[in-house]
Amino acid sequence: MGKFILQRLLAALVTICIATIAVTILIHLVPGDPVRIMYGSFQTTPEELEAIRVRLGLDQPIWTQYLMYLERLLHGDLGRSIVGDQPVLDVLLARFPATLALTVSSLFIAVVVGMSLGFLAAYKRGTWVDVGSMVLAIVGVSMPHFWLGLLLLFLFALQLQWLPVAGGDWRSLILPAMTLGLANAAVLARLTRSAMIDIFDQDFIRTARAKGLPRSIVLYRHALRSGLVPVVSMLGLQFAYLMGGAIVIENVFAWNGVGRLAIEAVLSRDYPLIQGFILFFATVVAMASVVIDVAYAFLDPRIRYS
Amino acid sequence: MDDTRRRGRGLRVLAGVPLTAVLALATTAVSAQELVWARYGDIDSLDPHRATSTLSMQVWDQIYDTLLAFDMDGKPGPNMAKSWTVSDDGLEYTFTLNEGIKCHDGTDFDANDVKFTIDRAFGDTPSLTRTSWGPITDVTVVDPLSFKVTLGSKFGAFLPFLADSFSSMICDTNTVDTFGSATAIGTGPFVLDEWVKGSEVALSKNPDYVNFGEPYDNKGAPHIDKLLIRTVPEAQTRLAALRTGEVDIAEPPFDDIESIKSAGELEIMVAENTGQDVFWEFTTSRPPFDDIRARQAVAYATDPQMAIDIIYGGLTNREWCPVARGVFGNDQEFCKQFGYEYDPEKAKALLAEMGFGPDNPMKTTMFVWTGGNRHKLAEIFQSQLAQVGIEAGIEIMDIGTMNARVKAQNEDATSDEPGTFDMMTWSWYDPDILYQLWHSPGAYSGFSTPELDAMLEETRTTIEPEARLEKVQAVIQYLMENAVHIGLYSPGWEWVFAVRPEVEGFKVGPFLHPSFLDVKMSSDG
Repeated sequence: MGKFILQRLLAALVTICIATIAVTILIHLVPGDPVRIMYGSFQTTPEELEAIRVRLGLDQPIWTQYLMYLERLLHGDLGRSIVGDQPVLDVLLARFPATLALTVSSLFIAVVVGMSLGFLAAYKRGTWVDVGSMVLAIVGVSMPHFWLGLLLLFLFALQLQWLPVAGGDWRSLILPAMTLGLANAAVLARLTRSAMIDIFDQDFIRTARAKGLPRSIVLYRHALRSGLVPVVSMLGLQFAYLMGGAIVIENVFAWNGVGRLAIEAVLSRDYPLIQGFILFFATVVAMASVVIDVAYAFLDPRIRYS
Repeated sequence: MDDTRRRGRGLRVLAGVPLTAVLALATTAVSAQELVWARYGDIDSLDPHRATSTLSMQVWDQIYDTLLAFDMDGKPGPNMAKSWTVSDDGLEYTFTLNEGIKCHDGTDFDANDVKFTIDRAFGDTPSLTRTSWGPITDVTVVDPLSFKVTLGSKFGAFLPFLADSFSSMICDTNTVDTFGSATAIGTGPFVLDEWVKGSEVALSKNPDYVNFGEPYDNKGAPHIDKLLIRTVPEAQTRLAALRTGEVDIAEPPFDDIESIKSAGELEIMVAENTGQDVFWEFTTSRPPFDDIRARQAVAYATDPQMAIDIIYGGLTNREWCPVARGVFGNDQEFCKQFGYEYDPEKAKALLAEMGFGPDNPMKTTMFVWTGGNRHKLAEIFQSQLAQVGIEAGIEIMDIGTMNARVKAQNEDATSDEPGTFDMMTWSWYDPDILYQLWHSPGAYSGFSTPELDAMLEETRTTIEPEARLEKVQAVIQYLMENAVHIGLYSPGWEWVFAVRPEVEGFKVGPFLHPSFLDVKMSSDG
């Protein structure tokens, strides 16, 4: 098991390294000199711009910049943001709890709604419940997060006035969490349905029924437990989707998390902050995957030896 | 956050819709002295020497005050400084401060604070305001209420600068590392409570504030107790929050302005004398725009009046001058003489002279920055240009990228690609903007000639207003005749405000500086 975890951690580390290399290269392909963009108002002399460029290491070749970045990283230093001149790690950590709260509550909504819907659809296969659930799921998958967010906002905040439009307290978390959660519930519903249908057709379910076990025991103890294994394996991926979705949703609901921070950083070409964000994002997603993989391995012993 | 506004809403959730009306009345009455202003973005810094965005300046205006103040027409007059004298050679300014100005930490504001501010602007790296102050060589404290500023050469834009937010007076007690990122001590109408980055700047009223020269009725402390400046990036979300009353003032989505007006639920306010100028400028270092005829063809082929009527309704104006309304030197009639009235036939004739025709269109690319429906405007211009045989692609980017790319275009004289042109935007309080843009090397390394350089230098060294006006207008004429800087419209960004009916007395001063000094919150909105 230790070896398995180590393998997964190493794989995560490789993912993170690839992410940092990719972002260093990508950012230089985008037109625009970051120093000019940030400090290039005519109020600054060319000498000052050059001094800033040297200070940030932006006068160096890309690979040198990347090595400098890695060296600082090993000292736990993610650099300082260009806007506001703050330590990048502090800026990210200040905004991360909001994103974590959003993604975890969305995941909760996605799991509860998605799995229930999928299970129900599988159980009532071929009926209007099944068709209705799957139509809902297709709508959910197809609908852009942004649009769903605005629809929910107009309904619950503007028309019914049950929830605030934006803000910062726990009640303003409900709408963005619902938006992200419902959109992702659709994916889980479809997945759960197909997994459960497979299970319902298995011999051991037929045997359990044949030996006269109560229907609830067959459903929950036999079918649900086995059916959920593949679904759980998808949760890591779902978490990554949610983190990605958070970037858009945080903007719609003025939720002050790292997703919005990322948009601000990209618009102002705040290089250190963008690099920090990608690294942070990749680390969180990679670590979440490791945790899910390990949990999966515990659920299904066959995984450890494959 | 435990303000009554929020508590009230919590009760509403529990009680459901029937109680909404009753509670809304109660909460409005209790929280009447708090105003929430939502904007699309956050400030970059609380330090006036560390940022240039309008979003930042509008917050500095609340926390800090300036030595001089603009009246509603954009003319500078006394404020913290009650008077000043200028030496005969125009190089020494001696200012006298008003008595009794208090910093937010309770200390007295005096000439030492002025010296601290100016020294900091020149000593601090990177200071973004240094060149705006002018060629200052020395600041001497004469006594606590007077100080002398010495210039290396005459500088016509010096006094107007002292009324601009970039010259915000910083108290000399701002010595901690957190200044600019978490703390800010000024003398303005509001005191900083907290800056939650990305989310909110929370301010409280400064009970000691005295308005010496700002053009508002209230001469003392603000009437409202709290001013919360919140970041809400999505325009539709801002509008929803305005409608529910979570937000009191915000920039509305353009496409909804007509429906907001007809619904009558919110007041639409349009800022005047913003100093904002939207204009054509060109990559003149290579074809086709190294030829004046190509630049003139674009000017004749595009009809700004028609475009802004379609996209902005009556919210903005055709601007003929290279310096916008509210700025010294702006005179529509004067500029119009040298302007390019829409005339597609003239454009076609110029293009034909250059060898372009129906089978051989002139190709170029138009740069436009995102937001404010400018992309729709660009599409109209694109089709107008197509009608005379100019094939213009459109590239949309953020303003920072556009600034950098325009400069890069000008600096690349050897490229085989056709030169670009762009819908550039600048806002400034003085015609010195023309010096900054067009005196070599210029903000964008663009068009320049020794003749123009000499004319621009004279606009700086001439201080006497009538003489300076002549120099400024000479530059305007030169820029327009050479089709270098062609005004399109003004204002151009963040100039429209939707205001809830409870808010009374909200005003937007010249150069887009909103003021909350006269604001009162009525309880019957």
